[in-house]
Amino acid sequence: MSDITQTTEADSADTTETADAASTGVDGPSATGRSSTETTAGETDEHVREEWREYAFEGDAKFAVEDLDVYYGDDHALNGVSIEIPERSVTALIGPSGCGKSTFLRCLNRMNDRIKSARVDGSVRIDGEEIYQDGVNLVELRKRVGMVFQSPNPFPKSIRENIAYGPEKHGDIDTGLLARLLNRSDADERDRLVERCLRDAALWEEVSDRLDDNALGLSGGQQQRLCIARCLSVDPEVILMDEPASALDPIATAKIEDLIDDLAEEYTVVIVTHNMQQAARISDQTAVFLTGGELVEYGETDQVFENPHSERVEDYITGKFG
Amino acid sequence: MAGAAETALVREDTTGTEAVAGVAIALAVLLFAFDVGVLFDVVSIDGTIAGIPTVALLGGLLVLLGGAVVSFGVGSFLGYVETEPSPDAGLVAAAVFTLVWFGLGGAAAQAVAGGSLLWLPAAAATGGLAFAVAVLTREDLGSTLPAGAVAIVVGVVYLTGTIGPAWAWNLGFEQQASITAPFLVPVATAGCALLAGWAAAKAYGGFGARGRRMGAYLLVYTNAGAIISVLFVLIAFTAFRGIPGLLNGAAVGPGVGPSVSVLGVGVALPVSVPFVTNGVGLLNDFQGVFPAIVGTIWLVVGAVAFAVPLGVGAAVFLTEYAERGRLTQAVEVATNGLWSTPSIVFGLFGFTFLVPRFAGNKSLLSGMLTLGFMLLPLVLITSREALLSVPDEYRDASAALGVTKWQTIRSVVVPAALPGVVTGVILGVGRIAGETAPILLTMTGGTFVSRDRAADVIGGFAFTAQPPFVTNPELLQATTALPFQLYALITAGVGLGDNVSNPTEFQWATAFVLLLVVLSFYAIGIGTRYYFRRQLRHE
Repeated sequence: MSDITQTTEADSADTTETADAASTGVDGPSATGRSSTETTAGETDEHVREEWREYAFEGDAKFAVEDLDVYYGDDHALNGVSIEIPERSVTALIGPSGCGKSTFLRCLNRMNDRIKSARVDGSVRIDGEEIYQDGVNLVELRKRVGMVFQSPNPFPKSIRENIAYGPEKHGDIDTGLLARLLNRSDADERDRLVERCLRDAALWEEVSDRLDDNALGLSGGQQQRLCIARCLSVDPEVILMDEPASALDPIATAKIEDLIDDLAEEYTVVIVTHNMQQAARISDQTAVFLTGGELVEYGETDQVFENPHSERVEDYITGKFG
Repeated sequence: MAGAAETALVREDTTGTEAVAGVAIALAVLLFAFDVGVLFDVVSIDGTIAGIPTVALLGGLLVLLGGAVVSFGVGSFLGYVETEPSPDAGLVAAAVFTLVWFGLGGAAAQAVAGGSLLWLPAAAATGGLAFAVAVLTREDLGSTLPAGAVAIVVGVVYLTGTIGPAWAWNLGFEQQASITAPFLVPVATAGCALLAGWAAAKAYGGFGARGRRMGAYLLVYTNAGAIISVLFVLIAFTAFRGIPGLLNGAAVGPGVGPSVSVLGVGVALPVSVPFVTNGVGLLNDFQGVFPAIVGTIWLVVGAVAFAVPLGVGAAVFLTEYAERGRLTQAVEVATNGLWSTPSIVFGLFGFTFLVPRFAGNKSLLSGMLTLGFMLLPLVLITSREALLSVPDEYRDASAALGVTKWQTIRSVVVPAALPGVVTGVILGVGRIAGETAPILLTMTGGTFVSRDRAADVIGGFAFTAQPPFVTNPELLQATTALPFQLYALITAGVGLGDNVSNPTEFQWATAFVLLLVVLSFYAIGIGTRYYFRRQLRHE
């Protein structure tokens, strides 16, 4: 496996570069320490062992990541991460603030390309295909690997338009004026799609009678489920979630968690969370990142939470630091 | 212990005393409003109201107001009224009182002793006294005595007839200059009313922190009210003077208006307003400004059609594509500079650059482009701001769906920025629609244009067999516009005597129509912005 160095220029022509590392790279600037000798207060000094990160699972790996390094300018945000993520399951990424879990997540659909100062080294393969190489079709990659953000971010359009946005822009659905005039409008197909996505996101019952209302009128939890539905509309294989419930109240959070559980039957879900109970509840396997952008432990969720190999992981899980 | 006096949480029943102070405030506001009427000639200064001469009435009200304020202050000082005064009236109030009393004392001494230098010590004495009262006595005395006394003194001056409607003070400058009663009386009365009203408001709040807040409220509300009323007075003034000319020869009734063809059927409108439907012609019963109205509308439409796509496009490039750095900074500086460039400079540019390129004479097209160039910087600045304020979350969300940058801009970013863009266009149209200097140099032909020579841009398009296949002579002809017509009417007034029976009425009506046209552009813009906002927000 050859490491391929991919700088962000490849995508710069096609993406907005307004975000900078400080505002978007959640884990960027504060991730300072490199090795286990540089620790935050309360963190024990130990050497990470290879077998802690080995996780054998049945079935195919959706993602295979090898020696992934990410730099924000001089900051080394992610340090040699290698991990294999099984398909049709929920993988939780946990760790203290600034440990690189969001950065890792954003590497999986190359959203880091949108941060000008970010530089990615290493290899990420999805179904065996390298995504950090020349000639990768970002449109196709992001269609396959959808993303849900920390704060709900629906477009200021109607609920229907929010869902249909992706397929319409990709040309899968055409309800434009010309299509309507030529009697080949996909309005019916669009409505079926909207209903299917909203049902999958457990939102249909609540909004079915007001699909033409502005999405900003929904509550926070509904908005987040709408964002999940919007993500499902382009028929992804993977859904990346960056702390999707951190801005929501407990009831909305519970709904999102149930939803994630359902989604895992069809999709590969990778979720970043600060809430360890949540990770323990919903995930099949858990990866723990600690200071320095290092993957310390990866394994079955029960094992990681009940019997972690690493002393630091145990300290983190029991709340001694982080 | 100083300052340890107990302050009651709930003030005792103070209805009676508050009512007295409230009446004083009402008196002050009434006086102020009355005074604005005098200043704008709504109330005649040498007339009488209910048998009392206006100036004497103002004087009487002032004395009443001053008396109320002073007696409230003294009553509070002697303990008849329950208040919570601070130890002094404050430095700002003291400074204002000192200035007022310095001027008042000086003026009085000058009036009594004539041209000697005696006024200086007198002014210093009264100013110093006012300062001492304001600073050294408790707040209830310090803020009411000087203010109330000003009102009383000025009121007495009016009552005794020392300053009457015919009073004038020749300044003795090289130019003819004098201060006359119609100016001095309203201004001085307004000042006194404001001062005494402020003191009354303080008294209403029981002095102290609460009193100061009431005083500040009075000043803030009076200020806001004055500004808004100036706006309305301006519009009302133009309307009153313009409406007679506008309605000259107007008729309402079935079939009196000009006929319009609706779906091929000629229908005569039931309203006829010759001033806006006629041009100027020898055989016309009533002359009108129809060509100028049409010219103004086409000018604005052309300028907007030229500037908005360019401005928004440039803003999209600068915010979404260009690297933030030297280039964008330079463009920012340049656009801000262009926006503050005097319009006559744009006019000269159009005159020397555009006019020779379009048929060599002044034309509607060069006027449109010149005004478009004027509009461009504002559209660019406001669109840029609007695009920058679109949250990055939208762009991230769209990118995560695999939508390309251009499609994101087109279907998410620009729609979210549209209300801001429209605001910029509204502001810009307000400026260019009334602009005279640029079109004077680039567009305008005759002042009195007959109806059949009004610019007919849509009807002017003609197809030809040779390239460029479409021609429009209307765009390449000089025409007229309302601001220019108004300017020409006032400075030159050529031919007015023959064609128009009442030139002044005609001018005011033109001004009023210009105002109406600009305001209707505003209305269209605000409606558009409202529409786009509705689309973005849940209502």
